[in-house]
Amino acid sequence: EMYMQYERVGADVTMKCGSMDWDAAVTWTANGTDINESHLNGSYLILKNVDLSQSGHYSCYEGSSWHLKYQTYLRVGTPPKEPVLMCRSNNYPKGFYCSWHLPTPTYIPNVFNISVIHGTKEMVCEKDAVPKNRCHIRYLQLFSTVKYKVTLTVTNALGKNFTTLTFDEFAIVKPDPPESVVAKPVPNNPRRLEVSWQNPSSWPDPESFPLKFFLRYRPLILDQWQHVELSDGTSHTITDAYAGKEYIIQVAAKDNDIGTWSDWSVAVHATPWTEEPKHLTTEAQITETTSASTSSFMAPPTTKICDKGAVVGSGAVAVCWTAGLVVAAYSVLFI
Amino acid sequence: MAAAESPSAALRRRDLCSRGIRLAGKMRADVVDLLDAYVEQQGLDASASVAAMEGVPLAAVERWDEQTGTQRLLENLAAYRAFRALLAQMLEEQREQLGEADAGLGRALAAVLLQVSAFAYHLEELLRLESRGIPGEEEEDGPPPPPRLSLFEQKLRGLGVLRELAQWAVRSVRDLRQLAKPSPATGTAPGLAESP
Repeated sequence: EMYMQYERVGADVTMKCGSMDWDAAVTWTANGTDINESHLNGSYLILKNVDLSQSGHYSCYEGSSWHLKYQTYLRVGTPPKEPVLMCRSNNYPKGFYCSWHLPTPTYIPNVFNISVIHGTKEMVCEKDAVPKNRCHIRYLQLFSTVKYKVTLTVTNALGKNFTTLTFDEFAIVKPDPPESVVAKPVPNNPRRLEVSWQNPSSWPDPESFPLKFFLRYRPLILDQWQHVELSDGTSHTITDAYAGKEYIIQVAAKDNDIGTWSDWSVAVHATPWTEEPKHLTTEAQITETTSASTSSFMAPPTTKICDKGAVVGSGAVAVCWTAGLVVAAYSVLFI
Repeated sequence: MAAAESPSAALRRRDLCSRGIRLAGKMRADVVDLLDAYVEQQGLDASASVAAMEGVPLAAVERWDEQTGTQRLLENLAAYRAFRALLAQMLEEQREQLGEADAGLGRALAAVLLQVSAFAYHLEELLRLESRGIPGEEEEDGPPPPPRLSLFEQKLRGLGVLRELAQWAVRSVRDLRQLAKPSPATGTAPGLAESP
């Protein structure tokens, strides 16, 4: 028969070899390896100040016949510390869940029991298959001022501990972060970014229980966030982005009336639209560049003397004022 | 079965619901502020549990999502009429206790009382739109007034009243949002297309 034995870290452990007398000749093994006789007091095995590495399979054999007289599985561990318990409603108004864990491991099996009381009524917290340290409760009532009291007890072979949480219905409402956050540049707008997102899929009825949103954004090169709170809609256009700079953007959600803000969504990156730089390869562009860079006026070869508006007359005898003045001046000279 | 709602009635209902939601939202914010001031001024522990008291309408409801529109309106109206009387009583008690010593709290109570009255009237408007009779207020037929409470009991009751009122304000916002939803098949509000 295999026994199971639990001992605290640091304890002194004495193992008897079944019904063998103290002065019987025995051999002890740990995980199949002989144990030095220095650890024996007669036929008793003495383990002082045990540590975790001494967990294992211990066997005792009668000296001459090598018959197995006793075997045990030793598990060294600790009693549980006060567990950490959290309750939250991310699917209001359907219900809430509680999850828990131990702040430090015990190294031996633990059993958790949870009780939920609302006023005088005990409610059933249905354990989730995955993860194991979680259970959920359906609200039987809404809008109650009576607080919920949740007590979690943890027990193992070496001890017991518990914690209690008391809260009201509204205080634990915290949605999951918004999903599918997308940020895109806006064509021909170097300072805009269009951001859109969706309600978290765990929020069961956003029409009756609408969410509001908080958007934060900053260029990667700066540490300071800009914030915008939005009371409806699942999109927003940022209009004050720095041109050409890559931005990081996140969104959080909260029930419009109660509870607390969700965690921030997954961050998305986007850069506002920028104009493509022009390549100087055509004659027209070179000409344009040249005329733009001269400080005094110099008529380019293609510049016409006459502008459209300065033409007088029509058809074959149409002349412009400038040409007419030049001709007149020459005429006077030669008369 | 009642006939489908006319488009103008549907618009009027949605408008009344939207305004009601805003009223209830503002009322809640003011009640929460009043609650903080009341707890401090009365020397109470904010986390103290207060047992349900006779005459204070409880906001807690089972199967809230299954309620009809009419049920929502009638329960809201009954509650806010009760709060109107309770707040008036609190105001009177406040004046007796402190006189002018804490006029600020008295003014805040009076402001909330005004909002509660306005909201009750708003609910009556919604019921009229539904062509439902508005239930009369219980005056002569009600139970005899309870024996006068001690000062401490008055304070606890006031705490209970304000806490329930804060819950009701949230519930009313939710109720009005349900009412504002058009029914997909008939175009009427859910739960309002019922036989009298």
